[in-house]
Amino acid sequence: MSSQRLPTRAGELIDRSTSLSFTWNGRSFSGHEGDTIASALAAAGVEVFSRGMKYHRRRGILTADHWDPNLSVQVGDEPNVRAGSRRLVDGMQVSAQNAWPSLRWDLGTANQLVGRFLSAGFYYKTFMRPQFLWHNLYQRILRKFAPGGRVHWKTGTHGDYDKRYAHPDVLVAGGGPAGMAAALSAAEAGASVMLVEQEPELGGHLRWGGPDDLTVLADLREALYSTPGIEVLCDSIVTGRYDHNWVAVMQRSHPVVPERLIKARVGSLVVAPGLVERPYVFAGNDIPGVMLAGAVRRLINLWAVKPGSRAVVLSANAEGDAAVADLESAGVAVIAVLDARAGEDIVQVRGRGRVASVQTGDGRTLKADLLVTATGWSAPTSLLNMAGDRPVYDKVAARYFPQSLPDNVLATGGIEGDGSTAELAAHGRETGALAAQRALRLRHERRTQTARSVRPESTPPASVPDNRIPLRRSPHPECYRSTTHGLVDYSEDISSKDLIQAAGEGFDSIELMKRYTTVTMGPGQGKLETVNAAAVLAEVRALDLADIGTTVWRPPFSPVSLGALAGRIFEPVRRSALQDWHEANGATNLLAGQWVRPDHYGDPMAEATNVRENVGLIDVTPLGKLDLRGPDVANLLNLVYVNRWQKLEVGRVRYGAMVTEDGVVSDDGVTGRLADDHYLMTTTSSGAGAVWEMLEDWLQTYRPDWEVHVTPVTGGLTSINVAGPRSRDLLERLVEDVDLSADAFPYFSVRTGTVSGVQDCIIWRIGFTGELSYEIHVPSGYSLHVWESLVSSGSDLGVAPFGIEAQRILRLEKGHYIVGQDTDGLSKAPTAGLGGLVKLDKADTIGLPELRAAFERTDLPVLVGLQPDDPTIVPEEACQIVAAGSNEILGRVTSSRMSPTLERSICLAQVDPSLASAGTSVTVKLVDGRRITATVQEHHAHVDPEGARQRV
Amino acid sequence: MSELEFMSPVGSGHLSTSDGGISLEDISDCTKVLVRAGRGTAAGVHLKVTYGRSRRRRDGTLICGSRPDEWTLLAGPGQGAAVVGSVSDEGFVSIVDISHGRAMLRISGSDSVDVLAKVCNVDLADDMTPDGAVFSGSVAKVTCDLVRDDRDAGRSYLISCERSFGGYLFAAMADACAEFGINVPAGLSVH
Repeated sequence: MSSQRLPTRAGELIDRSTSLSFTWNGRSFSGHEGDTIASALAAAGVEVFSRGMKYHRRRGILTADHWDPNLSVQVGDEPNVRAGSRRLVDGMQVSAQNAWPSLRWDLGTANQLVGRFLSAGFYYKTFMRPQFLWHNLYQRILRKFAPGGRVHWKTGTHGDYDKRYAHPDVLVAGGGPAGMAAALSAAEAGASVMLVEQEPELGGHLRWGGPDDLTVLADLREALYSTPGIEVLCDSIVTGRYDHNWVAVMQRSHPVVPERLIKARVGSLVVAPGLVERPYVFAGNDIPGVMLAGAVRRLINLWAVKPGSRAVVLSANAEGDAAVADLESAGVAVIAVLDARAGEDIVQVRGRGRVASVQTGDGRTLKADLLVTATGWSAPTSLLNMAGDRPVYDKVAARYFPQSLPDNVLATGGIEGDGSTAELAAHGRETGALAAQRALRLRHERRTQTARSVRPESTPPASVPDNRIPLRRSPHPECYRSTTHGLVDYSEDISSKDLIQAAGEGFDSIELMKRYTTVTMGPGQGKLETVNAAAVLAEVRALDLADIGTTVWRPPFSPVSLGALAGRIFEPVRRSALQDWHEANGATNLLAGQWVRPDHYGDPMAEATNVRENVGLIDVTPLGKLDLRGPDVANLLNLVYVNRWQKLEVGRVRYGAMVTEDGVVSDDGVTGRLADDHYLMTTTSSGAGAVWEMLEDWLQTYRPDWEVHVTPVTGGLTSINVAGPRSRDLLERLVEDVDLSADAFPYFSVRTGTVSGVQDCIIWRIGFTGELSYEIHVPSGYSLHVWESLVSSGSDLGVAPFGIEAQRILRLEKGHYIVGQDTDGLSKAPTAGLGGLVKLDKADTIGLPELRAAFERTDLPVLVGLQPDDPTIVPEEACQIVAAGSNEILGRVTSSRMSPTLERSICLAQVDPSLASAGTSVTVKLVDGRRITATVQEHHAHVDPEGARQRV
Repeated sequence: MSELEFMSPVGSGHLSTSDGGISLEDISDCTKVLVRAGRGTAAGVHLKVTYGRSRRRRDGTLICGSRPDEWTLLAGPGQGAAVVGSVSDEGFVSIVDISHGRAMLRISGSDSVDVLAKVCNVDLADDMTPDGAVFSGSVAKVTCDLVRDDRDAGRSYLISCERSFGGYLFAAMADACAEFGINVPAGLSVH
C-alpha cells in the first residue's frame, strides 16, 4: 500500500504537524489530527473497509461521510462507528466488522454461492420447518451472521452516558450555509439558538468548495462564534422531533461523556440538513473504487487523499463537474467524463477488490480504478416527516420537497430548493428571522402564563406572514438506475433485482416492499436508498415516482446508542432518619417501594418473640402521615372513610378504612384528633401519596367549600413503634409530661408530649403487633436521639429493634390484614371483614352505593384465619385453595408465616363464602403440587383474639 | 432540648469547586414554615407575595409564594417558633413548621444552571425564571420545590424535597456537578 496523501490543499482539515498512531485490524498506521478514520486509512492506501451484510463482498469508500454504509467499523469496545465522520484519535484500535476470520479472507463470501437463495424475503421463506429447529439451530446460525460490531459488556470501558434538558427559542438542525445563516439571524433577532451539526465542523458543502466558498464559510463561522446567544453543537445530531417541538439531540464528542441525549423543548425548529447525494444503481456499483462525487471531493479537499489514479466520471450536475476539476487538480487522470444530462451512461463496473474497468452505455470498456457518479440528491426529510409533513416528488428537480409544515417547523437550504451560496444563506437568514419571530411570540405567551416569570411589559411581537422568497428548483435528470441491476441498499445488501422480485410477489407498495425486503431499514435509515428504491418500484409498476409515495421516516434520524438513550438512570430512594443506625446495627435491608427499610437484624423469629416477652422497637417512618387542619376535617373524614367520624373526641384515635368509588378497599389507617380543628391521619406506607392526592382532589374539585388544609408530614415525623408488655415501663423513663397509665392514656388514644427531651412528640397508644404498644412520632431532626435513648434506657427491659419481617409475623399472629396483600383490586369491604365498621346509613361516603350493593351479595370471597393441619408446613403466599377432589379454585392464601408464639404455621386466606365458617376444612395446593388440609379459624387473630394483651 | 443537634437527612455537608463555578450545600437545618391561608385572611394579605414569586422580609425570612394560597417561609436554623409566631392565624389559616420534613440544598455558582439542566426540565432562562422565582419541578426524578435566590450577584437556587429523599437528592446533584469539577466523595453514589 502506497501513500495517497496529497500535497497541502486550501481547505484541508488535517494538521500535518501531528502524527496519530492507530491500528487497523491489528496493523499499525498513522494519520493526522483532523483525519477521519477512513481518510487516514485511505491516505495509507487501504481500499477495503468492510464486507457486505449478506454476500460479504468487499466494500470501499462510497460517500466518505457520516452516511457511508461501507464504513462501519469497530473501535475498541465501541461497535458500528462511522469511520467516515469519526475523527482519528491517537491509540485507536480499529477493526473491520462482519468479516471472519479476516477482512481479507472472509468465509462469509460463501454466501455468494447460495446468493439466489438469499433474495428478497428469504427469511420469510426459509427456516420455517421443522419448527423445533428454530431455537436449536436456525437462531444460532442466524445470530452468527448478524452484521455489526460487538459490545463487550464486561469490559466496562463505555463510560457513563448522560442527558440534559435545553429550552432554546430556535433549534437549527444543520450547520451548512443556510443553517448557519438561520442561526445567526435568529440570534440577532433576540432568540436563544442551538445550532446542531452532525459533522465535527460547521460548513456543510462549503468545506470542500473553492476559495469563494471557503471565504464565505470563514466569515459565517466567525460571525456565529462571536454572536452571543448561540450554542453550537458539532458532531451532534438531531435524532427526532416529537409533539410540541420536543426535539432530541444526540451530542457526541463531549469532553466528559461519550454521548449525551439533549431533550430540547424548542420554540421553532429550523430544518436545514442539506441534501444527501444518492448512489447510482448499476452492475458492480458496490465494488471498491465506485464513489460518489461528494466523496472524492471530500477526500481530496478536506483530507488531501488521492482517491484513485484513473477515473471515469458520470456526471448529471455541477457537483460532478466540480469533482472532475478536483480530481484533475489532485493528479488523477480523468480518462472519461460521461454526461448524464446528454444521455450518456455506464452499465457495469468490473473488478475484484477494486474497480478495474468501466463499461459505458455506448459499449466502450475503459480501464480505470475509480468510477465517480454524480446522479443527484435525496432530501433527508425525516424531521419534516416527524412534524407531519408528507414531502412531494418534483419530477423536474428529481427529488422530494416539503409540502406542509406546522408553524413551529421551518425548512431552509437544499432541502427547500437550489441556489448559490449567497442565495442559500439569504434564505437561511430569512428563515432564521421568521423562526425567531414565531419563537419569541411563543415565549411572550409563556411568560404571560407562567407565574414565576418576568411579566412582559410589551405587547406580543406581531405575527409575521411567511414572505420568504422561495429557492428555485433547478432541473435535474432522473438518474436512478442504469440498464443493469445493482445494489439499492448497501447496508442490507438489497439489489434492484430483489425489489423487482418483491413487487412480483405482490409486495408492490413502498411500505410493504420495505418490510418484506428490509430496504431502507439499515443504519442509514434510507438516506441513500429510499428514492432509488421508490424509483425501481415506479419502474416496475410503470408509474411516475410521484405516484409511488415514500416510506414514513420515523425517529431516529440516525442510529442512537442504547447507552445514550438510557443515560443517567435516576432511581430515587427514601431513607428514614434512623436508617444509618439500622445499617450500623446489623440490619438487612429490603426495598419497600422507594423506601429502604430494615427487614431484620439477623433473627426475625427471635425479634418477634422479644416483642411478645419484653419490648421491641421498630422504625415505621414510611407510614403515611397527613396533618389535617380546619373546621371541616370531620366532614372530610366522614366522606373518605367508611365509618363515622363526627364524634371523635380530642385525644382519641379511630381506625378507618377507605374504599374506592367501586367499593374496593383502597387504604386504611388510624386518625387521631389532636385539637378541635387539628387531626393527624395515618395511611399505609405505600398509599400515602395516593391518599394525599385523593384528599386534595376532593377538596379542590368536589368540596371546595370545605375548609380543610392537608399537609403531608410523613418524613418530618419519624415514627417509632414501641411494642411489648414492657413498653410502658420503657416509655415512663423517657416521657416527661404525659401520664401513660392505662386509665389516663387508654387504648386508641393520642397525646402530645416530650420524649427524651424532645418536645412536640405525638404519642399514640395503638399498635400492629397485638401487644401493649405505643407509636411515637418524633420531629425527624431529633429522632435519632430519641431512638438511641429508647435503646439505652431499656437494656434492662430487654429492648431490641425488630424489622419488617418480625412485624409481619406479629401482625399475622394478631390477624391484622394488609391492604394490597390480604386484599386485592377486587376486594370489597365485606371481603376484608369490615362489616362492623361500614356505616351504610351515612349521608355520603365515597363508594357508598357500591358498598350497599356489596353487603347485599352473598358470593363475595371472605378473609379468614387459617391454620394448616400439619403445623410444620407453611404454605407459600398465593397458594391456591382448591376443591378437595379437583383443581377448582376456591380461594388463596394471602399471608402465611411460622408463628414463634404458637410454634405452628398460620395464615390469612381469601376463601369462597361456602368455606368461611369456623372449623371448615379446606384443601391448599402447595407450589410443588402437594395438597394439604387446613382449618378455617373463628377469628382472623391467631394470638389473643380478645385483645387482652394490647389493652392492659 | 436546646443542646440537641438537628440531624440533617443529607449528612454530606458542602461541596464546591475552587474556581467558584459550583457550590453545593446542605442547608436542611434551616427553618421552613408552611402557611396556607384562605383568600382575604390577614396572613394572605400581609405575606404580600404572589404565587411563583418570593421576597425577603426585613428580618431575613424569605417568603415564597409556593402555590396559590400557600406560602413557604424560609429562615435560619432554629427560628421555627419565631417564624410561626410572625404570621397571623386569624381566620382559616394553617401554619405548620415543616423544618423537619423537608431536606434543602443550595446550589450556587456560574455553572449551577448547567448542573440543574442535567436533572431538571425547567426553563431557567432569566426571563422565565428570574431571581426570586418560586417553582416546582422534578429534580433527578424527585418532586422538589425550587427558589431562585441569587447571592452576591451570582446565580443561586434553593431546592427542597421531602426529607427522606434528601440523601439521594444530594447524591444526584453531586453526580450532576461532577462534570463541572466537583470531587464527589467516595460512597456518595447515585447509582
